[in-house]
Amino acid sequence: MIRCSYCGVELEENANFCSLCGEPMWNKNADTLAYLKSRKLQQEEKLLTDYQKLTGFQKRMLFWKISGLILISGIITALIIDLVGNQAITWSKYPITAGLVLYLNTTLIAFWYRKIILLLFFSFLATSVLLILLDIYAGNTGWGMQLGIPLLLAGYTGIFVFIFIVRKTEQIGLNIMAYALIVSGVLSICIDGILSLYSGNTLHFGWSLIVMVSVAIISALLLYIHFKLKKGTDLKRFFHI
Amino acid sequence: MTAKKHTIPETAKFWFSLDNAAKIFPAIITREVTTVFRLTAVLKQRVKIQALRKALLLAEKRFPYYKVQLKQGFFWYYLEHLPMHIPIEVDDRPCCRKFSKGELLIRVLVKDNRISIEISHILTDGGGGFEFLKAILIWYAQACDKKIAGGYNFQYIENQISEEEYEDAYKRYFKENIPPTVKKTKAFHLPYPVKPPPRFDRMNVTLSLKHIKRVADEKGVSITVYLVSVYLFTLEDIYENLGTFKKYKKNKVIRVQVPVNLRKIFPSRTMRNFSLFVMPEIDTRLGHYTFDEIIKTVYHQIHLETDEKLINKNISRNVGSEKKIYVRSIPLFIKSLILKMKHKSLGPAQYSGVVTNLGKATLPAETEEMIDHFVITPPPPNDLLKINCGIIGFGDKLVLSFGNITHSKAFEQKFLQFLENRNIQVQVEENE
Repeated sequence: MIRCSYCGVELEENANFCSLCGEPMWNKNADTLAYLKSRKLQQEEKLLTDYQKLTGFQKRMLFWKISGLILISGIITALIIDLVGNQAITWSKYPITAGLVLYLNTTLIAFWYRKIILLLFFSFLATSVLLILLDIYAGNTGWGMQLGIPLLLAGYTGIFVFIFIVRKTEQIGLNIMAYALIVSGVLSICIDGILSLYSGNTLHFGWSLIVMVSVAIISALLLYIHFKLKKGTDLKRFFHI
Repeated sequence: MTAKKHTIPETAKFWFSLDNAAKIFPAIITREVTTVFRLTAVLKQRVKIQALRKALLLAEKRFPYYKVQLKQGFFWYYLEHLPMHIPIEVDDRPCCRKFSKGELLIRVLVKDNRISIEISHILTDGGGGFEFLKAILIWYAQACDKKIAGGYNFQYIENQISEEEYEDAYKRYFKENIPPTVKKTKAFHLPYPVKPPPRFDRMNVTLSLKHIKRVADEKGVSITVYLVSVYLFTLEDIYENLGTFKKYKKNKVIRVQVPVNLRKIFPSRTMRNFSLFVMPEIDTRLGHYTFDEIIKTVYHQIHLETDEKLINKNISRNVGSEKKIYVRSIPLFIKSLILKMKHKSLGPAQYSGVVTNLGKATLPAETEEMIDHFVITPPPPNDLLKINCGIIGFGDKLVLSFGNITHSKAFEQKFLQFLENRNIQVQVEENE
């Protein structure tokens, strides 16, 4: 019998490595022990690249800085070209506004990644301002307030509900696709309703109902496949009371 | 009632719901309060890893219902078969670590001459876990070419695992229409501040079983009663030495929770949780208790509370609330929220400490020859409790293991000082 110098267990006489801790079999002395310890640490370090060593927050900060750099340089470039070409701010107000709102959104994502309600609320506010500004730039016909913001609200609510469901889901698979389809179905009903209100001042649902029925059928099929055919889970154990 | 039928729980379809005692644990588990306890066998010689692997493979076959993972249902958590081997790891990481999602709720840890198992309390209690460890040790001895006489509890017969072993034994002893128990007042808690994480430390103390038996016999009580009394006496001492304002602020009743292995009261072969508690107490408002007075009251309280009918009343209260349809039909995430909120006020708020005694371990003589002593480390205590104590005896060694999440070792020092004053030699190892 020989003895592992790291974990101290006894191994078969002809073992080259310890079957418990994976360390090579060497004679035990202070140097070997110290080497084995540092080797273990090194191995753990090696498994991770520099990017993997960053925490989630550090990764988001990196994303925020890079996207900020791109957006701000884009804004400045557009502004300079416009000023040089036209001696005034003309078309560049569109990319500048859109760029600023996008930058605001990336900032929100970077800092409030975990506070989903706050993130979506302020992102919604910022994008609403963008729509109103675009409306004003284009001659203030009022579509921003009457059409843009209601559609945006429906979209954000849909995204919020979807994110909430995904976070609550334990096993991700076909069920996510089914939830996405249902959310998009409900969203199309909202869009249909908002459009009909805007154009004809009456609430009328047409094409969206067909969309809803179709996605409901497909989603039911997907959910059935997910829950019924998924390995190991039957509904009886999931719903046992 | 005998076992109804024989089944093979090692299939993907195998699942069972959590037993009555386990239901609370998933709701309260955190990185620090892991509800994982550890049982260690310290051998006389270094562990032979090949022999241990053989023994564990046999144990996996014999106790297939321990190869399960925790899953979330809509109304309750449940345990589902997980086709993985019980991991054998080097014991070089913190003690009683939490089990992650998708892992088995049991692990084996080895270093030098120590074999430890760590088990989540969701799966079983100290009694069940210790039977499992004993079985591993017996098969380990066999794999080391020892001859083991027949007749020990867990011989392996293929495809013959009694359902009784993995049933919820609380349900079997549940009786309808039993009056509810009265809620206890809040108890005194140790005044020491909690360490920042990782905060769990332990101190193992070895004493001579003969010596402790001698002092217990002098008082005419069991070792459990004696040590629980020392625990209460130490707590009383700490309470009495507090400043006037702190004393005024603290709760006045000192109460210790002592788990009782119900397998010794009811004839059950279950390997899942089957224990309840008795809670001997002293009320400091009634004046100073001498050690003899504490021993007297603890002796009577423990005997009174371990009465079969009273135990039945407690089982019925616990199981009864689980059986109510309005409780059952609450979705799990709401249930977990309620349990989390209720746990502190109904659980640790009511007692000042925990003393869990597994008693004196016995094994076949050939296996006993290989073992020096055992250690039981109870699950890491929570912020209120701060310190707890596990006790197990083997041969002439009684090992106390104090779990502690504070910087202060004053409690342990006072406790050990008390024993030393009665001529009991103690040998202390920290974080071993």
